[in-house]
Amino acid sequence: MTDPAIDIRNLVKRFGSTEALAGIDLSVSRGAFCVLLGPSGCGKSTLLRLLAGLEAPSGGGIRLSGRPVADGRAGVTVAASGRNLGMVFQSYALWPHKTVQGNIVWPLKIAGIPPAQRRARVAAVTRMLGIEALQDRFPGELSGGQQQRVAIARAIAPAPDLLLFDEPLSNLDAQLRVEMRSELLRVHRETGATVVYVTHDQIEALTMATWLVVMRDGRIEQQGPPGALIAEPATPFVSTFLGNPPGNLLLAEPADGGWQVNGVACDGLPVADHAGPVQLFYRPERLTLHDQAGNRRIAGRFLEALPIAGRSIVSADGVDGGSLRRLSAIVDQPPPLAYGDPVFLELPDHPDGVFSMTGERLA
Amino acid sequence: MVVRLGAGGFGAGRLRLSTLPLGTVAWGLVGLLVVVPLANIAIELASADGMQAIRDVFTGRIARNMLWLPLQNTLAIGVVVAVACVALGGLLAWLVTMTDMPLRRTIGFLAAIPFMIPTFSAALSWTVIFGDDRLGPASTGFLHALGVPVPAWLAWGGVPIAAVLIGHLYSICYLMIAAALVLVGRELTDAAEIAGASRWQTLSGILMPVVTPTLVAAGALCFAEAVSSFSAPAILGLPVRFHTLATRAYGAIETGNPERGYVLIATMIIVAAALLAVATLAGRRRRSFATVGGKGGRRIRMTLGPARWPLAIAALAVVLFTTVLPALALLLSSLSAQRGTVFGALTLHYWIGASDPAIAQGQAGILQNPQLVRSFVVTLGIGLATGLVALAAGAVIGAAIHRTQRRWAAAGLRQAAFLPLLVPGIAIGAAFIGFYGAPIGPLPSLYGTPMLIVIAGVAATLPFAVQSVTSALSQISPELEESARVGGAGPLRTWLAVTLPLAFGKLLAGFVLVFVKMVRDLDLVILLYTPQIPLLTVLAFRYASDGFMQFAHAVSVVILVLSVGAHLLANALGRSSQPWLKAPAG
Amino acid sequence: MHKKPMQSRVARTGLAALAGSLLLAAPATADEMAEMVAAAQAEGQVTVYSFTSRIFRVETAFEAAYPGIDLVPFDISSTEQIARIQAELEAGIASADVAYLADAPVVVEALVDPGYLTGYVPPAFAARIPDEFEQPLMAHRLSTKVLMYNEEANPDGPPVMNLWELTTPDWTGRVVMVDPSTRGDYLDLLTELTLQSDAMADAYEQAFGMAISLDDGINNAGEQFIADLLANDVVFVSSTDDVNVAVGAVGQANPPVGFTSYSDRRDNEEEGWALQVANAVMPSPGIVYPAYLGILSNAPNPNAAQLLITFMMGDDSETGGSALAPFYVAGDYLTRTDIPPHPDAIPFDAFRAWRIAPEATREARQDVADLVLSLQ
Repeated sequence: MTDPAIDIRNLVKRFGSTEALAGIDLSVSRGAFCVLLGPSGCGKSTLLRLLAGLEAPSGGGIRLSGRPVADGRAGVTVAASGRNLGMVFQSYALWPHKTVQGNIVWPLKIAGIPPAQRRARVAAVTRMLGIEALQDRFPGELSGGQQQRVAIARAIAPAPDLLLFDEPLSNLDAQLRVEMRSELLRVHRETGATVVYVTHDQIEALTMATWLVVMRDGRIEQQGPPGALIAEPATPFVSTFLGNPPGNLLLAEPADGGWQVNGVACDGLPVADHAGPVQLFYRPERLTLHDQAGNRRIAGRFLEALPIAGRSIVSADGVDGGSLRRLSAIVDQPPPLAYGDPVFLELPDHPDGVFSMTGERLA
Repeated sequence: MVVRLGAGGFGAGRLRLSTLPLGTVAWGLVGLLVVVPLANIAIELASADGMQAIRDVFTGRIARNMLWLPLQNTLAIGVVVAVACVALGGLLAWLVTMTDMPLRRTIGFLAAIPFMIPTFSAALSWTVIFGDDRLGPASTGFLHALGVPVPAWLAWGGVPIAAVLIGHLYSICYLMIAAALVLVGRELTDAAEIAGASRWQTLSGILMPVVTPTLVAAGALCFAEAVSSFSAPAILGLPVRFHTLATRAYGAIETGNPERGYVLIATMIIVAAALLAVATLAGRRRRSFATVGGKGGRRIRMTLGPARWPLAIAALAVVLFTTVLPALALLLSSLSAQRGTVFGALTLHYWIGASDPAIAQGQAGILQNPQLVRSFVVTLGIGLATGLVALAAGAVIGAAIHRTQRRWAAAGLRQAAFLPLLVPGIAIGAAFIGFYGAPIGPLPSLYGTPMLIVIAGVAATLPFAVQSVTSALSQISPELEESARVGGAGPLRTWLAVTLPLAFGKLLAGFVLVFVKMVRDLDLVILLYTPQIPLLTVLAFRYASDGFMQFAHAVSVVILVLSVGAHLLANALGRSSQPWLKAPAG
Repeated sequence: MHKKPMQSRVARTGLAALAGSLLLAAPATADEMAEMVAAAQAEGQVTVYSFTSRIFRVETAFEAAYPGIDLVPFDISSTEQIARIQAELEAGIASADVAYLADAPVVVEALVDPGYLTGYVPPAFAARIPDEFEQPLMAHRLSTKVLMYNEEANPDGPPVMNLWELTTPDWTGRVVMVDPSTRGDYLDLLTELTLQSDAMADAYEQAFGMAISLDDGINNAGEQFIADLLANDVVFVSSTDDVNVAVGAVGQANPPVGFTSYSDRRDNEEEGWALQVANAVMPSPGIVYPAYLGILSNAPNPNAAQLLITFMMGDDSETGGSALAPFYVAGDYLTRTDIPPHPDAIPFDAFRAWRIAPEATREARQDVADLVLSLQ
């Protein structure tokens, strides 16, 4: 069996006293489109920079295609330039004093590729990204989307094994993002390179990833194919971070031998023998909307309704253990409600998941 | 002329202070400070005497020595100094801001100081070290005294003049280039590194071109300062009859031939402007690269590996050689009992001694001299006033440059404001006496008032002020001001509450630059001072020309203390007034 | 033993006193003197521009004599004084009261003719100063720019006997003077050489045993000398003190010679110099020229100005007292005829320096200045 494209073991990165990466284990197979997803400050960009060889790890090690490139003791053993990778930066980082062609060709020159081949590569990648006409322009004369394409062209021109993207679409407007997503997928398919892609946008993550890694506070919360993460979130964080709308998490406390959620009695929990309070996970599409109280119905106030694909996402805030928590339900008909109207959300008889208060999945 | 100091400009919607016609006010200022006094010189040249002077200087028998050779010397010094300053200042800036060189903080601090040492003091301290016995024992330097043979070309003439000017001006290149390097987005160099570029390839292929506009601007500034410098060529060139246009112009003005001096100055301005225009045009497409941002965050310092310490030691040697050494030479020679012997018996007489008829015509030590205290106060006052007025004028002109819609008008204003860079201080002094020395209509003459010195100082430092203000304000996003305006704050209040605090550190640095230039400048004030407004540099110059070198050097030390003190104070103030700016790491 | 040249001169010009008192309605009696002192004391201050640093010693003496009056001295070269006084007077600025300066050829035209600077001859001294030194400004003393050598290194007398020797390889790079392009007195020295071209031509023949032949573009022997001197790498410096140190400093094996003020010999002991004048040099060691005292026409303290000038002429003691002490030195020739010549100095009529003629010098000096410029 061939080595995975990326193999990371117990990777740690500290900046002074802060720990940006607290022990990362990650394996990405060849040709995968791996997305690192997480909120700001979760360590995803740091992980990418370590992969690129722009920073040295404080502990643990990285192997690319079986070859060790960095570890906590020796630091960077294979420099960025020796890892055969391309990178697209959030700011694009186009060299402002070089033309489009100059930007693309310079790394090829550095790599010592003969002129004829260089010309062929530049022609190929500019064609692939539809920027042939822009070759003589300077970056300052390009729109944001064009700059993005140039940055991608520059990254793929040397035909790297590994392509790294650091939030590449975050500076584009909504429509361009949609276009560029499919553009990137096409580039991925045509180059066959392994991609590691950092984003905080879960739509990008869910649409593009073949392997999704959700990170928080310097750790991996869960990794796997996007569908698997949606279907079986391993932690409360993943359950409420992924999906559109995100899942609902409710506090359940044992009472009178059964369970109470916001003062509403619930039966049939798969962990009936659990002694303390637990967190219950319900998918939005399994909640139903009612105008009066009843069995397993949580009282809340109507916030908003978003029509989507013939259905409606309804948001309400409920009182949960004294703190307000937003609940979402997907319903067929938009309710005739105004902001602040009372509403009741009925839970199905079985939750989609049960987590302990410390975050372990119990069921 | 075309001198662009760094990239930048104002963001949109900057400084809508009032409905006052800003352009008119700015042109008024530039007119009164720069155009009219210089035009006055041009008008004099158009007179019969002036035309005769033009003929004499260009075609007479004096042409070769009065104009052509000095012009050649001037341009050679200008080019050499500019190139060397950019190389040296740029290298230091790169080492300090981008690498893991040890001691980089100390080196960075010291590198800012040479600019504060009066040029004539630096030139004198050169002779203290490298002088040979061409002028007898008085000019015999330390090396010569030790028996080390000093070649004549190292003692006098073009080489030492260029060396002294480089040692003085590289400092300003360092400051400008370091500021530009800090702004280069980290990702630009990351991208090069990933592409496999070596350190050298990253440096030469990415970093240098990106800061090229700043390099060109810094070089232009040094070129202009070098060609218009008077003190260094006067001290180090005269003994071998090495002249520049500035020393020739000074000689002509001083010996009652001002028209000839004006011809030389006008020639210098035109030639230098033409050269700078060519240089700027060559780099035309390279605009405002230095402000390309990226994700903020920690800068990864390039590791120098085994070269760390050798480079640190070399850099330290450069900054010590250009700061501590001249300062020490000045201090030591102010303490020498006998003039011209730096390592002989020491005395504090020239600092604190009482009057002794046997020494220096009975002059008391400078700290016993009421004239020194008066000079100190007057110098301080004039320095502060010039700094404030220059920054205010710089703000108005900078804002007008940005807001003027017609590009040629904005360019004209900018070039006019930068014109004083090319005019030697002594010529600015002459122009101001010529124009403001006599009453203008109902206005009384300004001659003999501190006002005249302040106004001439503002004119001479206008390029620095305009540049400081522009770069300070251009780094504040317009949205910050707009949000205050939307929040209901008036223009003045917005400026006081948002703009000023954010720009404070940079404005303060600009203020110190103007202040220091004023406090240590001799050329500008030598014609303008009157006995009623004594200045420290004039005092030092007087002592020096009477041969009282110890007094002269003691006063130079006082000037140096004042300048460096202002620099330190501003550093401390700038930092404490901007708590949101963490001190840059390392 | 010493003759008294000034006294013989005063005999030739017997009307000196009369002329002085007619020109300026100045106090002549003791009463009027007391009145002037009182008025000066009411003014309380007097500012003087001086071309010599010896003014600082005058300050000490003056303030000791008149404690109520503050003397503010400024040491400014003659050239700069002229430019400054012109600018100040044109601007209507009253900065200074008294000017003490040389550069006679320019002073008369630039300052006296337009009325910026007026003469004042203290009545008490009018009879003791030759008439020629009372017009157009009173000369305080005669100053010199002459060839000096190091007497420690040359105990047997001057190392050169003829100015033309300075143009020979022996003296290449070993003749020091202030740049004549920046200093009027040195320009006057060179100008005088051209005005004395016949003497220079004779001296050439004496030195080299043949008649002088002039280069192209050179009009006379004086110009030829200037050309040869510059071609022989004469060292230009910026102040007379630089010349003094270069030439005079003791402990030199092979010191240069240079043109400087004879009177700087007075500082030999204090500064460690061994300066001596080469009086015997042919055809002449250099020039003497007047140092003028005048009152600015817009002097804010006119009475104190008169008092200072009176004071600077000295008292009635043998050598003029503390006020004249800084100037009663070998190499300065006081215009007061009643002061005996300095014992260490060459008597004035044995002193071989040429007296400059301001009018003729003024006409020729621009040409000489251009010649110097064209040769460097």
